[in-house]
Amino acid sequence: MPSTRGSFSGVVGEDGVQYSFAMEYSGPPVTFDIPKAVPIDVETIPVASVVAQVSLSDKLSLPVVQPILPLDNRSKMFSKELKLLGCEPTVSPTSVIDGHECVSKEITLGSEASVSPHSVTAFESGVTDNQDCVLSGELCRLGALEFSNGRYGSSELLEMVNVCQSRSSISHGNSHELVGGAGSSGMFEFSEGIGKSGELFGSSCELRASTDFGKENLDANISNPPDWASSESVLSLDRRSSEVSSFRSANGKNLSTSDFKRPVVTFRGVDTDSSVNEESSIFEAKNSGFQKEPYNEAKKGKGGSCYRCSKGNRFTEKEVCIVCDAKYCSNCVLRAMGSMPEGRKCVSCIGFPIDESKRGNLGKCSRLLKRLLNQLEIQQIMKAEKLCEANQLPPEYILVNGKPLSHEELVILHSCPNPPKKLKPGNYWYDKVSGFWGKEGQKPSQIISPHLSVGGPINADASNGNTQVYINGREITKVELRMLQLVGVQCAGNPHFWVNDDGSYQEEGQKNTRGYLWGKAGAKLVCALLSLPIPSKSANSCGEQVHNLDARAVPDYLGQRTLQKLLLVGHYGSGTSTIFKQAKILYKATPFSYEERENIKLKIQSNLYNYLGILLEGREHFEEETLADMRSNQSSDESSAAITSLSPLMTQGATDGNFAKTIYSIGPRLKSFSDWLLKAMALGNLDAIFPAATREYAPVIEDLWNNAAIQVTYSRRNELKMLPTVASYFLERAADILRTDYEPSDVDILYAEGVTSSNGLISMEFSFAQPEPDDSISTADQHDSLLRYQLVRVPARGLGENCKWLEMFEDVRMVIFCVALSDYDQFCIDGNGPPMNKMLLSRRFFESIITHPTFDQMDFLLILNKFDLFEEKIEDIPLSLCEWFDDFHPVTSRHRSNGNSSNINSNPTLGQVAFHYIAVKFKRLYSSLTGRKLFVSSVRGLEPTSVDSALKYAREILKWDEERINFTLSEYSIYSTEASSFSQ
Amino acid sequence: MANKEMSVTELREKHMAAAETVNSLRERLKQKRLLLLDTDIAGYARAQGRSAVTFGPTDLVCCRTLQGHAGKVYSLDWTPEKNRIVSASQDGRLIVWNALTSQKTHAIKLPCAWVMTCAFSPNGHSVASGGLDSVCSIFNLNSPADKDGNLPVSRMLSGHKGYVSCCQYVPEEDTHLITCSGDQTCVLWDITTGLRTSVFGGEFQSGHTADVLSVSINGMNSRMFVSGSCDTTARLWDTRVASRAVRTFHGHEGDVNAVKFFPDGNRFGTGSDDGTCQLFDIRTGHQLQVYQQQHSDNEVSHVISIAFSISGRLLFAGYSNGDCYVWDTLLAKVVLNLGSVQNSHQNRVSCLGLSADGSALCTGSWDTNLKIWAFGGHRRVI
Repeated sequence: MPSTRGSFSGVVGEDGVQYSFAMEYSGPPVTFDIPKAVPIDVETIPVASVVAQVSLSDKLSLPVVQPILPLDNRSKMFSKELKLLGCEPTVSPTSVIDGHECVSKEITLGSEASVSPHSVTAFESGVTDNQDCVLSGELCRLGALEFSNGRYGSSELLEMVNVCQSRSSISHGNSHELVGGAGSSGMFEFSEGIGKSGELFGSSCELRASTDFGKENLDANISNPPDWASSESVLSLDRRSSEVSSFRSANGKNLSTSDFKRPVVTFRGVDTDSSVNEESSIFEAKNSGFQKEPYNEAKKGKGGSCYRCSKGNRFTEKEVCIVCDAKYCSNCVLRAMGSMPEGRKCVSCIGFPIDESKRGNLGKCSRLLKRLLNQLEIQQIMKAEKLCEANQLPPEYILVNGKPLSHEELVILHSCPNPPKKLKPGNYWYDKVSGFWGKEGQKPSQIISPHLSVGGPINADASNGNTQVYINGREITKVELRMLQLVGVQCAGNPHFWVNDDGSYQEEGQKNTRGYLWGKAGAKLVCALLSLPIPSKSANSCGEQVHNLDARAVPDYLGQRTLQKLLLVGHYGSGTSTIFKQAKILYKATPFSYEERENIKLKIQSNLYNYLGILLEGREHFEEETLADMRSNQSSDESSAAITSLSPLMTQGATDGNFAKTIYSIGPRLKSFSDWLLKAMALGNLDAIFPAATREYAPVIEDLWNNAAIQVTYSRRNELKMLPTVASYFLERAADILRTDYEPSDVDILYAEGVTSSNGLISMEFSFAQPEPDDSISTADQHDSLLRYQLVRVPARGLGENCKWLEMFEDVRMVIFCVALSDYDQFCIDGNGPPMNKMLLSRRFFESIITHPTFDQMDFLLILNKFDLFEEKIEDIPLSLCEWFDDFHPVTSRHRSNGNSSNINSNPTLGQVAFHYIAVKFKRLYSSLTGRKLFVSSVRGLEPTSVDSALKYAREILKWDEERINFTLSEYSIYSTEASSFSQ
Repeated sequence: MANKEMSVTELREKHMAAAETVNSLRERLKQKRLLLLDTDIAGYARAQGRSAVTFGPTDLVCCRTLQGHAGKVYSLDWTPEKNRIVSASQDGRLIVWNALTSQKTHAIKLPCAWVMTCAFSPNGHSVASGGLDSVCSIFNLNSPADKDGNLPVSRMLSGHKGYVSCCQYVPEEDTHLITCSGDQTCVLWDITTGLRTSVFGGEFQSGHTADVLSVSINGMNSRMFVSGSCDTTARLWDTRVASRAVRTFHGHEGDVNAVKFFPDGNRFGTGSDDGTCQLFDIRTGHQLQVYQQQHSDNEVSHVISIAFSISGRLLFAGYSNGDCYVWDTLLAKVVLNLGSVQNSHQNRVSCLGLSADGSALCTGSWDTNLKIWAFGGHRRVI
């Protein structure tokens, strides 16, 4: 801690800024790791064979623990000195030397700065930020001040030189200063800070109070705290300040030989010339020297010194930025590179592509980092470095058969069974038939997986051969020809060979296979001798694997990019879960795992018990009713009493059997089961006792179902409001389902309620099945297969206007809104109000979703689900039952062709007419609220093809959306939005 | 049938009447409180001649930027020791950071990318996360990664019927965790068994009547915790008494997005959609202070997240418009706006947390970054 405090007080002076944060963290990582590193250093140093350096690097790591006390003293001293400087120019000699030493060093460094190539680019990007600096630079003297604040000072003195040469060249100087800034972190912040300090100085300059000026200078430093604070690592501070001491001692030796003090003198001279306040400028100069000492930002490491602290030399261990080649010593690397989200890059380099020459080093950790960080941290950095998108090989740098690759092609190339080894940017040729791969103009270097759809068609002169012998349309090289001759292939008459991936070859235009290249005696030996490639052992049946997408791991960075999220929402009962299940069954090789199936089985069985319970309850109810009817017939005078005494009579009737049996009566065994089941349901613990009960009651169920009373009740199931419509599907197979060896089929799962948890969000990733590989497949289609979709179903609950989490879905590509068409005659109780039509509830929900700010400008696909049910229902129940649809007056005649053909030429069914009517209703509603077009699709959730085509429709909408930009308006019409007709 | 119908209507009437009574009593209680509450903290402090905290530019500075998430950061939590941070982001990852070196130590891919909350266990060996999948997942940081390099879920706490909006480990207890959820309940979990120990709210009358968005456990007495909900109330619970809330705190006019116990354990702060932060006393049930910044336009920006400094003198509050105020809790004055200083976040601050020793503040933002702010200057820790 004291060391931290020391360096800060060196900056802030009288304020005595302390970083309590640092105190807490003066932690193990430093003390643990660094001692380990020392022996390693010693090992490497003999290579350097410079004695002085050895001692220096030793000091680098050693003082970590020791310098705490001495540094504390030192820093106090500094702050004292600063105060002194602030008021009077009487400075202790050592500190002056320190300052000068530092400043002068920067001067020399700064003059080199313009040489480095990448500084030029930094200059370009920095130009826009110059204005602030120019402002402050109006007073030449101030140019120096801003640098002292920016502390990116390597070139600052260079600027001073410029200033002294011609004051009009300030902007030039500024650009240099920005060059300096570029090497360090946070260039933009830096220039901002400068602007600020420059203004401050401007005001202070007007005051012209020389004594105040130094103070002002200090204040200005304080005024841009983030600038320096962000660059203060507690850890590195500890170490850096420790290094300061070593650095000082090291430089102390050199000091005598160099004329380091000179520049400061000229600097002062300049200011005197510029006839501003001489005294203040002296302070500033000195101040700047002091400030920079802890973290001066020398731009170019002269002699290999650190780009940030400009200490050390080419023998000190450093970490290199994989983008800009900046080198940082162990003290600065964590500050300069931050949390390294893309590996070892300067903070300002994040997001930029890496220097290709360093690609080989990706993911290879240096000793320096290992010393600084623990194993887990290094793992994360190296993983990020290797896998992050910005560091990937740019596909356009790789040309295969003269055509730059796309991202997807590169992935194909990388993920094939035999990928090209050590792929570097360059021109390659690829023989798709045989899998030969080589650099443009050279003999083949490798045999990779054949039949990959990457690059263009191969050229005859791909390998620059001149033998007039052709293999798969490529003129082969002399070496290859020699190989062919050696293994005994007839090459007389300049034949054109056709070589397959298995090595079989034939002459062009002939049917017969002439032989197998690799089966020939000595073929592989000859190839090895001539350094020609031989097929790798695993080269087999590649064609299969190329198309099997699930087997291939799409890299994470690409996976994220190509993943298109589809949000599936709908009111309760709209069939979203059926669609989700259907999609799972459609697109997943194994839609449900074993455990899932087991759970589903249990769920279906317990559902069935529930349905039975509802039936039994209904039976009791019907029995009561019938009994009451019978009794009221018998004794009409006691009709009023019959109602009140119904239940006691009921029990009597069941136990005594005094009353005549109704058709709803059941035997005692079934009765006891019925009582048990209803009791369990009433207590709500059916789920708790359920699995054990299955075995026990399975035989009863069969009897029960076959019982006439139950069958009669079942025939009146329409009156049982609690019984869902799907119940009949399961009830009719009750006996089968309740067997312990029952295995739910996909259809069972589709019909089952509550299989997808209605509580939470569920999602699945899928890609549409690859169409059958045939000749007509264009490469574009192949790339589509890389596109992955994520279907996300969210529960409708809580999706109100004030939904807290809907904003999480701002990155979805499309919202699929589900409405059950058959809801138009359904009512449900919403809150305390009167029952509301479910279609109107859906509409309200739809309105709230489409107008939600998160889904602004989002595509919506409306799925009108349960079309099959709807078609049945509309024949009996008029659509106008829902008040929203009261103006539905179908003009079609009742006479129409039966059958399910949706051919528009034939007369549409009433259901289709009604569907279109409802679709238009929703479309109008949508466009009135959002001014955009709504996509609508009718779906029968239980039919796989129907769901498949709806989701493919969604895909087409997305695809169309993407390509809309590329096409002019007139070409829109070419694009059919029908899923099947899309090609190219 | 008829008498059944009758009883239903009767019950409904009775319920209406009871609700009426409750409301009138509540109103009387409010009036009484207003009578008793003749001053607020700020008024009293001013009367005592206290002056507001002032911050120099160096007093709270950003000293680290943790980059590495690819999506909006939604939640963060510090370890009680060792200065590690776990953060949860919309990129579907939890990242465990070393706050010292600003490096990642773990990047955990979540089974459900829509994560809303995360928490560090007291011993620092595991992290918990919850989100829209309605499950709270526990990850043991020491368990080996699978072949894809992902850390497996070591325990799934499932049972909520709505999204898990917030979770916190019971201090000093690595096996107990409290979550709150969109199903209007809070749940105390036993992590070893994966079962619910108690459920707070839900079917009970004194529970929240809307989504619960936030919980905070009393640091002084870990049996007490407070929850904030979309029903505009905050409720105080005793983990031993699941049947009813100890106290219900009214006062906000919007969803209570954040609750946080005051360091002394006798008060807690809330942040709400109505744009205010409020301070409540758990013993008297009084609202002690309202922290509200008057804006020239009538745009109310929601308070998203709050945190207290170690002494309680400062209240950090992140707002939906990107502001992040540092309030002087005593004088109800804004000391600093972290949203407008240099190096500040580019988007709203969605989560806040103080390190256990109070020396640093971590903010997570929708700009995908986290920043660590350290207290500088002579005041060291405030």
